[in-house]
Amino acid sequence: MVGVYDDDEVILHAVPKLRKAGVKISEVYSPFAIHGMDDALGHPRTRIGIAAFLFGVTGCICALTLTIWTMGIDWPMIVGGKDPISIPNYIPITFELTVLFTAFGMVTVFFITNGLGPSLVNPNMFDPRSTDNKFVMAIDLKGNRMTEAEITQQLRETGAEEVNIKQF
Amino acid sequence: MHVTSPVRPPLVTGAKTYADVTEDICRHVEAKPTKEWWVAFIISVVVLIYGTACVFWTWWEGLGVWGLNKTVGWAWDITNFVWWVGIGHAGTLISAILLLFRQKWRTSINRAAEAMTIFAVLCAASFILMHMGRPWMAYWALPLPNAFGSLWVNFNSPLVWDVFAISTYFSVSLVFWYIGLIPDLATIRDRARNKVSRFIYGSLAMGWNGSAKTWARYEYISLILAGLATPLVLSVHTIVSMDFATSVIPGWHTTIFPPYFVAGAIFSGFAMVQNLMLITRVVYKLEDYITLEHIESMNKVITLTGSIVGVAYLTEFFIAWYSGVEYESYAFINRATGPYWWAYATMMTCNVVSPQLFWSRAIRRSVTWTFFISVIVNIGMWFERFVIIVTSLHRDYLPSSWAMFSPTMFDIGDYIFSFGFFFTLFLLFSKFLPVVNMAEVKAVLRSSSETLPKKVAGVAKGERMTSPTYNKDVQ
Amino acid sequence: MASVHAIPSVEEEFIFTSGAKTKLLIGGGIGLAMVLIGAFLLANGSGHEAAEAAHGAAAGAAEHGEEAAHAGNWMTRIWANIWVNAVYFTGISVIGMFFISYNYLAEAGWSAVFKRIPEAMPAFLPVTFVIMLVTFFLGGHDLFHWTHEELFDPGNKLYDPIIAGKQSFLNTPFFLIRMVIYFASWYLLWRILRNLSLEEDRIGGTTNYYKSIRYGTAFLVVFAITSSTSAWDFVMSIDTHWFSTMFGWYTLASWHVSGLAVITLTVVTLREMGYLRAVNNSHLRDLGKFVFAFSIFWTYVWFAQFLLIYYANLPEEAIYYRSRFSGYGGIYQAPFFINLFLNFFFPFLVLMTRDSKMTHSILKVACWSVLIGHYFDFYTNIMPGSVGANGGFGPVEFGFILIFVCAFIWSVSSQLTKANLIPRNHPMLEESLHHDIA
Repeated sequence: MVGVYDDDEVILHAVPKLRKAGVKISEVYSPFAIHGMDDALGHPRTRIGIAAFLFGVTGCICALTLTIWTMGIDWPMIVGGKDPISIPNYIPITFELTVLFTAFGMVTVFFITNGLGPSLVNPNMFDPRSTDNKFVMAIDLKGNRMTEAEITQQLRETGAEEVNIKQF
Repeated sequence: MHVTSPVRPPLVTGAKTYADVTEDICRHVEAKPTKEWWVAFIISVVVLIYGTACVFWTWWEGLGVWGLNKTVGWAWDITNFVWWVGIGHAGTLISAILLLFRQKWRTSINRAAEAMTIFAVLCAASFILMHMGRPWMAYWALPLPNAFGSLWVNFNSPLVWDVFAISTYFSVSLVFWYIGLIPDLATIRDRARNKVSRFIYGSLAMGWNGSAKTWARYEYISLILAGLATPLVLSVHTIVSMDFATSVIPGWHTTIFPPYFVAGAIFSGFAMVQNLMLITRVVYKLEDYITLEHIESMNKVITLTGSIVGVAYLTEFFIAWYSGVEYESYAFINRATGPYWWAYATMMTCNVVSPQLFWSRAIRRSVTWTFFISVIVNIGMWFERFVIIVTSLHRDYLPSSWAMFSPTMFDIGDYIFSFGFFFTLFLLFSKFLPVVNMAEVKAVLRSSSETLPKKVAGVAKGERMTSPTYNKDVQ
Repeated sequence: MASVHAIPSVEEEFIFTSGAKTKLLIGGGIGLAMVLIGAFLLANGSGHEAAEAAHGAAAGAAEHGEEAAHAGNWMTRIWANIWVNAVYFTGISVIGMFFISYNYLAEAGWSAVFKRIPEAMPAFLPVTFVIMLVTFFLGGHDLFHWTHEELFDPGNKLYDPIIAGKQSFLNTPFFLIRMVIYFASWYLLWRILRNLSLEEDRIGGTTNYYKSIRYGTAFLVVFAITSSTSAWDFVMSIDTHWFSTMFGWYTLASWHVSGLAVITLTVVTLREMGYLRAVNNSHLRDLGKFVFAFSIFWTYVWFAQFLLIYYANLPEEAIYYRSRFSGYGGIYQAPFFINLFLNFFFPFLVLMTRDSKMTHSILKVACWSVLIGHYFDFYTNIMPGSVGANGGFGPVEFGFILIFVCAFIWSVSSQLTKANLIPRNHPMLEESLHHDIA
């Protein structure tokens, strides 16, 4: 069952009402990020940050290892009168690699967790207008104890413009 | 709920609905290229071909075709590199720093600015390759193991730091830009009428569906990317400045270089964004999205960064005298009064004086003035690098080797190459990708519109339903 | 969700209780006692040590003329201590003004709710001005090598051509004129902005808001120059030979992050005392982000200056770090590293996560770290050039910190009582009250 809303604020207020009424909402699709929607749907907070931090630490360690090992151990060399291992000179590269690892690691995790990847299957199956101007709420009838009519009525009451049934 | 104070000027005019935003931006992607676009594109390509020929000859014949001499061994090549890299700072600054500061006006300009960043960094990189003389050896700059029986790359060298900085900056900017594009590509995909564009935009959109969970993570990683990109932007021009400042050449070795280069980079980058956006705005009729408020805000940033650069010029000059170091003082007096006084005067006028005109509200909000001053600023910033590089080098410690630099047609031709390259890429971008970030504009539409339509969603033109079953409910 | 919160009343009066006053007086008294004890010990108890140090410094004076003139004088240490604190608190006070000004210029909305706190800080400027003026007159010769006339006299054997070259900038009358200009321009512009703000509380409307933007911008223009020149005057000229173009912005970065830490700390403390209920987690997080970001910015500036000098290794520049790192028997090495640890590593790690930035206790720890760290920042910049080998960290240092802290808190508190704690008619207040960054 697909409820199509016309207004981001309406759907944002609709979500808690519906959940209170006992409707299980699978997901909400919108053309832009609606502030507070994930909280309203009860999605847990993302933990990508932890992954990003770990990637950052990895990058930092890799960079320091690379610079210290090549410059100071594998082929020690005195440049500009400094010790072969002169940490201040390695800070710029350490910083760059930390950022590089964090950014790429985090984005990769983001792609994987969201199932994003080069694909030709159109995943936007509920309503193509949800990337344009409509806000779409997907409800799986199988997982809900309420009947179709009850949910339709609930959706209508909370301001849905259209209610459609889609089979997959 | 977000409250917007009544003293804030609106950022979107013309009572736009969400559907209008989609339509106004996608229209240009979906339509056939206009005549103006073709004219501009062909000119750019012709320039690019001429430039490519020059670059080819530079490589074929060797760097001797440039006007370098024993004393001035680094001139237009590095000037152009720093200039382009500097320009390449504004895009990420707009998207990252302004995102962290939650400046809503960034939403209409960030896409084009980021694209500009990426192309500008590519232009800058082309000068690094030109520098190398033998670009097919470029991979020697990477820390590869001792495959050639020689040493590792020298990690103590700022030029190697630069390799890391520029490539990190380029790739992270590209990722940031692409992540921002995904939702908009999905919009285009879902509107696509023919198979080819559905295929192309569909595969680029990575299967984006706009679910709340994805959006929440998307917002989160955008913030972290912005948090990473902000120090990254600073680090890039910092490291570029260290190419000079770690040396002991008078006029180069000065500790203020890192932040001062960064300010200068933002300064010239914003000026370039202004130039491009003012043209795009007119050609694509985006006056409702890129309003005078946007232009004014950017002009304020230009004035601010221009003044920071001005303070840095004065600081350098003062400390050169204060230090009591003979060579340092001479370098600065020579800049202002020596044979290159005209370059110094151009730099001072264009960079410090001209942006002060923006203190006048009328000039700040005038499209013509803005365009004009932005061009001036970029000329000034080119001269800044020229002054720093050439005037410091042309007076050696040995007066017998004092020299002047004069560019050859290949110095000029290689510079022209970068313009052809830049505008060709930018025109392709503006034709095939959405020039304004639709998703972000929609997100601020409600709080920042001048007047809101009754129904903010609007009606998509010609409600394209792929399947009639969607309309079951309508009866 | 923000709309769920009820917005607390914006009518709040801060009461500077007599209990708090007593505590501050006691604190200041203890500080004074410590200074006296410390001074007594320095003058007598450790006289032997001081004499020895004086001897060592005198030997070194053959190479650097700078330290010779004032070695072994325990009064120098007193003056240097006053100077460190005065410069530090001048910076913190003026950053209050800086913060409001750039918030006006940037048309920032979120900060309106706690605007009274930065607004209260510059009231301390006259105090530090008088202290600095008196210190300069009484202890100027001990602190500032360039105040010695004989350096400029080519006939004298102490003649120093490099310092003589700086005479048209570094001379007592011009120095005093500059100092008056700094404090007068900062204080007067603050008074104007403060009065506009207090008037806005009474009359409302947006006229004062637009006027404030103009005066705020004027201050920023003034401060763009004076922040650098004052840093050269107050701090860089102590190491008279040394120079660094970055120094002005470096000191500004120090002052700025310290000022932000004070603002954050005051907001958190007031909340714990039951005030500022309208400040929500989003404000706290944003303040935390500011402290986090600008401690990184300070580190950036610090590192850029350090790296360039370290890399080029020019003797006239590198001596600055050499003397701090291993000079004077290495006594400044610890503050040097404490500085980096407290100002970068600790706040960086502690403030990284989202939750930490809205937890009172973590914010407080991080802010204290930054504040203590930047005390050591100024300490390492001022002490080696003024007291050299006689430096140290003892009762005198503790005492002066305590005196200045108590005086500053007193000044801020009494300013806070003068107006409603929340600027009730600020045009951005609504936005600020609903500030929600979830």
